[in-house]
Amino acid sequence: MAEAQVIADPITAAADRLRTLTKVMTTKASIAQTPKELVWTLNKAKLYRYIPVLPEEKRHPIPLLLVFALMNRPYILDLRPGHSFVEYMVNEGYDLYLLDWGAPGPEDKHLKFDDYTLDYMPRAIRKLKAISGVEEFSLLGWCIGAILTTIYAALRGDEGLRNLILLTAPLDFSNKQDLTFARWTDERYFDVDKVLAAFGNMPGEMIDYGAKALKPVENYVGNYVKLWDNIDDPRIVESWHAMNSWVTDNVSLAGGAFRQLIVDLYRNDKLMRGELVIRGERVDLSRIHANLLTVIAEGDHITPSCQSEPIMAKVSSADKELFRVKGGHIGIMAGSGASKNTWPHIDGWLAPRSQ
Amino acid sequence: MADDTTRDAKLFDPMEPWRGMRDIYMDAWGKTMVDMVNSEAYAQASGAMLDSYLTISAPFREAIEKAMLKTLEQLAMPSRADVVSIAERMTNIEMRLDDLDSKLDNIQRLIVQAGAAPRVQLGKALQSTKKRTTKTKPVKRGKK
Repeated sequence: MAEAQVIADPITAAADRLRTLTKVMTTKASIAQTPKELVWTLNKAKLYRYIPVLPEEKRHPIPLLLVFALMNRPYILDLRPGHSFVEYMVNEGYDLYLLDWGAPGPEDKHLKFDDYTLDYMPRAIRKLKAISGVEEFSLLGWCIGAILTTIYAALRGDEGLRNLILLTAPLDFSNKQDLTFARWTDERYFDVDKVLAAFGNMPGEMIDYGAKALKPVENYVGNYVKLWDNIDDPRIVESWHAMNSWVTDNVSLAGGAFRQLIVDLYRNDKLMRGELVIRGERVDLSRIHANLLTVIAEGDHITPSCQSEPIMAKVSSADKELFRVKGGHIGIMAGSGASKNTWPHIDGWLAPRSQ
Repeated sequence: MADDTTRDAKLFDPMEPWRGMRDIYMDAWGKTMVDMVNSEAYAQASGAMLDSYLTISAPFREAIEKAMLKTLEQLAMPSRADVVSIAERMTNIEMRLDDLDSKLDNIQRLIVQAGAAPRVQLGKALQSTKKRTTKTKPVKRGKK
């Protein structure tokens, strides 16, 4: 009887592990659960307002708008209960809004940064102001979202923008040596027009491949090895499942915006050189006067710190801070240490500036 | 005694040394691969592969598109270009609606401000609203 048990136990454990593995590899985790309401839409873009949990007198009067990248889903900011930046900020009393760009269709292949920053963002912000009843607001941009918020701040910053938070912002493209993407998309090797003529928009799968290929072993092998090593730990499995659900949920990038990203930014560094023109207006970073917090991930292989630091010297903001935090491009906001390091720092910086 | 044996058995994992070796190997492999993808040669090779794929697949794509277009025409169904055109028009309509929504929000704000303001300011606020709608006749709410 005891011998039979000795054989049965490992078999049962192996079956459980395989069941868990199959589940996390083939299903989507329950994500983005913080209660919210849809308050505005335009084309694929949606503006959500998170339902406040604190009474009005305890909330910060200045609303905060989150702007994430164009080619990923924004629910990384609200991954799962207890591990959500959105939930944290709502609990800290912020009137919180999220701009979800949605997935562009073939009809959106001409959309450029011009459209996102001068049509979509001002309209969403107008709605935010109408709902919150205040004329000032804060903006938080992450990754490509930080490019958009920076352009917006330079062109329309005088329309009530009080605080600007940039997370892992790829703004300076002068240091080509440290930018793998710049090497891959060099005009000698990468024909952006040919790619867009074939696909219209830049397919999400190709962008995903590009991001993962920066660290191929870690992303294609190590990630799954880590899961298998911790398959008996429900806490780690749950976290892995949620992150994997986000990573595999790819969004295409509108063709016009992709061309600008490659040609104007990666190849010609126009934003930092003050040569970027958005719908006839030159983007002058010295026109940014909002209070500025730039967050840099020290282990970021997608946006190295040399891309985010130089903006500090370009803006005219009297109140500006550069905050370095240990972690990677996504890990600083969605990793296990985010709730102890990055989120409290953002809250500590923003709270006194939101009164 | 039996408990001690069980605890020792739990503590000793025969796979642990293998895992250690595996991690060391993967670290080395990972670093080599990162160096490789960062090289000029990789950029050139991946660019050439993508270019070849696009060049080879272009005639097939065009042929499929033409065939699809003809089929849809025969079936009297809208083509992709037609659907895209409708979607673009829808976005333009949405923008117009958003403009109207903006104006309504402004009017609502003025009314709220006028309601909170003293009588003299209320008149001014209403006048400024009227200026934009002078050609609109007031709606009579009489009995039919």
